[in-house]
Amino acid sequence: MDGPDDVIHQPIRLRVMAALTACDPGDEGLDFTRLKGLTGATDGNLGAHLDNLARAGYVEVTKAFVARRPRTTVKASPQGRAAFARHVAFLKSIIAGA
Amino acid sequence: MTIRSDEAAAMLADVDSVVAKVKQSRIYRLAALIMTLWGVVNLVRDGLIAIGPAWFGPRWFFVDALGVAGTIGILRYSASPGARFPVRTLAGFLLFYAFGWIWAHLLGHFGPRQQMAFWPTLFLFGYSVAGLWFGPAFTAIGLSVTALVVAAYFWAGGAFTLWLAVVTGGGFILCGLWMRRA
Repeated sequence: MDGPDDVIHQPIRLRVMAALTACDPGDEGLDFTRLKGLTGATDGNLGAHLDNLARAGYVEVTKAFVARRPRTTVKASPQGRAAFARHVAFLKSIIAGA
Repeated sequence: MTIRSDEAAAMLADVDSVVAKVKQSRIYRLAALIMTLWGVVNLVRDGLIAIGPAWFGPRWFFVDALGVAGTIGILRYSASPGARFPVRTLAGFLLFYAFGWIWAHLLGHFGPRQQMAFWPTLFLFGYSVAGLWFGPAFTAIGLSVTALVVAAYFWAGGAFTLWLAVVTGGGFILCGLWMRRA
């Protein structure tokens, strides 16, 4: 069994990945505001965590203008989905081994 | 990095909580689209019946047929690529409709006023029950609009049809818009 994923382990990033992987791979992902509500993070905090996840290749961030308003959409990459699944399996293995 | 089992359990509970919220949000968004569609259908149908009951009264079925076709379209459009069409959801609607038809036409001997009150309250009852599984917004909307329809049945007099158009039409549209943000 792999160890914890250092990128996903942080609570906000764990919630972000949980939310994004709950969407179907074919979906467009979740927008920034929705993610903020789900994670309880502030704008700046969430932005920094998303940068971390994007650098690791776990999420894809798309910025666009919709009805003249900026809209940031975030989607889990296949690599991110696999990493999240491994991390969850690791957490389960800790409980199973307790 | 060392993680204790209670910390792991807390993290997994956190993950489950977020996943449940996302899934509920997706259900609300899908329901919001269908609710807004039926709000428009109800507004148009009941509005036309109120304006020209003699001409439009017998033709209401065509507006509802558009609503059913739209609902099927939304269910198909919102399904993920490769996902199976939600046959059980559609079967649920059809069973409700069959139940309603049996009571409205065979057993109940309802007059026009009873028919117009019966159909929305039947489906709102389904909404209220669905809320026990899918989220409290369904139950709140189902019970609130039912109360308005029942109130209109007793007290709206000759404006009953117009009241229905506003309450079940406008009400569903507003509830649909609200559910999108929930």
